[in-house]
Amino acid sequence: MFEHVLSVIIFLPIIAGLLLLASPASRVIARFTGLAVSLSTLVLSLDLYMGFKGTGLLECVENIPWIESLGISYGLGVDGISLFILMAGSVLLPLVYFVFGTKEKGYYANLLIVQGAMAGAVCATDMVLFYIFWEVMLLPVFFMLGLYGGPRRLPATLKITLYTIAGSLLMLAAIVYLGVSYHAQFNEWSFAMDKMAQLNLTGQVAAVAFFGFMIAFAIKIPLFPFHTWLPDAYTEAPTAATFVLSAVMAKIGVYGVIRFVVPVFDLEFARFAILLAYAGVIGMMYCGFAAIAQKDFKRMLAFSSASHMGVIALGVFCMNIQALTGSIYQIVAHATSTGVLFLFAGILEERTNTRTIDDLGGIAAKAPVFALYFAIAMLASVGLPGTSGFIGEFMIVLGAIKFNTAIGVLAGTTLIIGVCYMLWMFQRVFFEKTSSRAENFKELTLVEGLVFLPVILLIIVMGIYPHPFLSKITPSTALQFAQPASVVAQVPASNVQYLGLTIEQK
Amino acid sequence: MTNDLMLLMPLIIVGAGAILLMIASTYDKLTHELAAYGSAGIFAVAFLVQLSFCIAGKVAPFSEAFNGILVASNFSKAAGLIILACGFFTSLSSQAYFKRNNFCSSEYYSLTAFAASGMLLLTMAQELISVFIALEIMSLAIYILVGYDRKNVISTEAVLKYLMLGAFAGAFFTMGSAFVYGAAGSTKFVKIGQYLATNGMLHSPAMIGGAFFIMVAFLFKAAAFPFHAWVVDVYDGASVPVTGYMATGLKTAIFAVFANFLVIDGALQQKWITFLFYISVLTMFIGNLIAIGQQSLKRMLAASGIVHSGYLLIALVAVGTKDFTGSVIAFYLAAYAAGTLGIFTALSYLGGKGEARKTFDDFKGLAKARPYSAAAISVFLLSMAGIPPTAGFMGKFYIITSAINAGEVTLAVLGIVSSIISMWYYLRLIIAMYFHEAEEQFDEPAESCWAPACTFVLVLCVFAISLYPIAV
Repeated sequence: MFEHVLSVIIFLPIIAGLLLLASPASRVIARFTGLAVSLSTLVLSLDLYMGFKGTGLLECVENIPWIESLGISYGLGVDGISLFILMAGSVLLPLVYFVFGTKEKGYYANLLIVQGAMAGAVCATDMVLFYIFWEVMLLPVFFMLGLYGGPRRLPATLKITLYTIAGSLLMLAAIVYLGVSYHAQFNEWSFAMDKMAQLNLTGQVAAVAFFGFMIAFAIKIPLFPFHTWLPDAYTEAPTAATFVLSAVMAKIGVYGVIRFVVPVFDLEFARFAILLAYAGVIGMMYCGFAAIAQKDFKRMLAFSSASHMGVIALGVFCMNIQALTGSIYQIVAHATSTGVLFLFAGILEERTNTRTIDDLGGIAAKAPVFALYFAIAMLASVGLPGTSGFIGEFMIVLGAIKFNTAIGVLAGTTLIIGVCYMLWMFQRVFFEKTSSRAENFKELTLVEGLVFLPVILLIIVMGIYPHPFLSKITPSTALQFAQPASVVAQVPASNVQYLGLTIEQK
Repeated sequence: MTNDLMLLMPLIIVGAGAILLMIASTYDKLTHELAAYGSAGIFAVAFLVQLSFCIAGKVAPFSEAFNGILVASNFSKAAGLIILACGFFTSLSSQAYFKRNNFCSSEYYSLTAFAASGMLLLTMAQELISVFIALEIMSLAIYILVGYDRKNVISTEAVLKYLMLGAFAGAFFTMGSAFVYGAAGSTKFVKIGQYLATNGMLHSPAMIGGAFFIMVAFLFKAAAFPFHAWVVDVYDGASVPVTGYMATGLKTAIFAVFANFLVIDGALQQKWITFLFYISVLTMFIGNLIAIGQQSLKRMLAASGIVHSGYLLIALVAVGTKDFTGSVIAFYLAAYAAGTLGIFTALSYLGGKGEARKTFDDFKGLAKARPYSAAAISVFLLSMAGIPPTAGFMGKFYIITSAINAGEVTLAVLGIVSSIISMWYYLRLIIAMYFHEAEEQFDEPAESCWAPACTFVLVLCVFAISLYPIAV
């Protein structure tokens, strides 16, 4: 692990993507460049992961002053929270190049750029730098959606772009407000994230700034009631873009809440946590019910993804270490399971030319390996014990019950909805009578099978033996609640009196 | 004295170059292409001279030779740099433009240089009479440039409109100067500031009236509400390179002198801050309303120029705080100039004969036919919309920071709301270029023209400016 490993992880894909766009490369070259770059990023990330000490503090820190007069710097670093989102991106994105081999140059190039930008957003330790990466990661999605999306792509593109940009510009105002407040309170300019926790913010403007951040992240996650862009965008987007959006980008919204909102706006957060938690639960239920009714399996997966994001967000809003750790764990679990499901949906769509559930049937007989993989990913997504999904959801529900019994019970029971729509869909697509479209369905090739295997194994390993992962997450999440004079600990309205509890070992 | 001359050197180079070009234009041998290269050369030399002063860094005020009517500050130097760069790119984009349009003569380029000398003088002027003289040097050249296509009805209408209204603005300005002189006994900004600091503004009706008239003139030239109505028609009527020049160079000069006037007369700024607040909000939102409805690209860009004037007015409202003075305005102007000039440079070689290609629909499918041009235009649009990592984002970031730092949180939030609205019409062009199929063929690019290279340089500028750390 060398000194500037994070910079390389961020900028190698971005530069490769830009070069691809500027060069007249053919699609084959583009695909293999993308594959090579994303695999080398994966190697670097694995190296980073192995060398990660799990102290809870930022590691691999890089800090180069940029705009010194305003205290803005090019600051990077990872801790147990950001590491797992970074890893989720690095592990999953190479899959796309294996699975989809016949796309255009811009498809692969944009994918590379979005990978670098997402890594940048997760690693940035300076708010302005974070904002820059946050906005940059939207642009490739905009182009992928608009250029390679489905027939009704234009309204979907405009919707997601305007929606998210509106949110992020409000966040920009909030970021500037934090910087200016820091200047006012400490007589020194700084936009570094870790310094913002020292701020003492009160009053109406602080609440407004809190919502500035919260709305931006809620749109990205998407949290009820800011989810309306999601079904259209996820359905119309090309599979790789949907995959990126659901597997990694949505998580960066959650990450933003953990990084900005929880430490800085502890007072406001404590005051509104119950409201936000209800928003999470309502989102879970609403999107879950909506998923049951869908006829298009991509759209169903979109709603299911939104429903699960509600669970993850709920874990953050519960303000205790179990729920937060569960959220981070669930981020990885959801990224692997739902990400893979979207890729499988893409394969299914490519090979049968349909997305309607009723047109399909009997695929399991034609393609047993595909059906097995799909089943494992699906069971992880619904949280079956023994898969990665269970650990995270269990911890979140545990934390939620501690936080507020009603919310915990609601969250726990809502998870059943997930089982309903998933199993029902699986039954209709993979079993029952063999439909005409499924007759010529080709099994996964050997390469595809081998490529998905590590991820499928990861799902199982994470479900059976979570300790090595949790041991890297817990120090950082514990630190979130160990800040001096943390107001979170003294909130009257909440039930968080067990902050000191260590994590239960299963 | 030598020091004074050195500081004036860019102005002298551009002024003398303009006169030389004017004389040389009488000879047939000076084709307008040669004149284009000549004026570009003049701007380049002046730019380098100005740059060397900026790098040398020392603020060397003029001695008493000019009696304090001209001051070369860091701010005026930066504004001068922007203006000279605008002149340079305008010359080269005009060269490309006149490959397809044939109403050019060599005097065109000498007029660009004359306009630039007026603008340079404006950035340094610290006294009302010299402001007026500089304003008129600049405006007269621009009037002619706007109406250069004499046979075009739209162009003629534009120049008539601009000339009449501009003359009114000039008259208002002189009237205001006279009133202010009557009240304060001096036309120098410093003396006026001292007078206001001791006597306050509200005691003398002449001062109130005078300041009002001067504000009207500045707001008119800056295209701010309620004096914005001319902008769309005039920008539409002028030829593409001239529109680009007006939108960038002229705006830079006006905002430079406006900021100088307000910064030095701090007391005046305090009195006018409430008005400027409402004016900037209305300018942003009315500009947006106008821009949303446009079908023509040039008219949309004109209206978006109004919106950007609104953002700059935010900076002027916040200019009173000590931390941010000229640097925020200069940075924003540079960022805006890079984006806008880039777009107009690209349009000058993509527009086709007689500017046939002008609506959003005409640019459908550009990304397939001319991928690099489309990518460059997208970068410029994103910069104008304020999406990172472009210069436009950093400019907007600084403006918001200075506004919040000055306690104007409402203004900052309204600025952000306005830029959310503006996203729509910038994205609209990107969507047309990328996500639609071409309806007609695009022309082959004209031979031996420098405009595509300029576009490329400006793309680099957009990113380079964003990385440049601002000095507070």
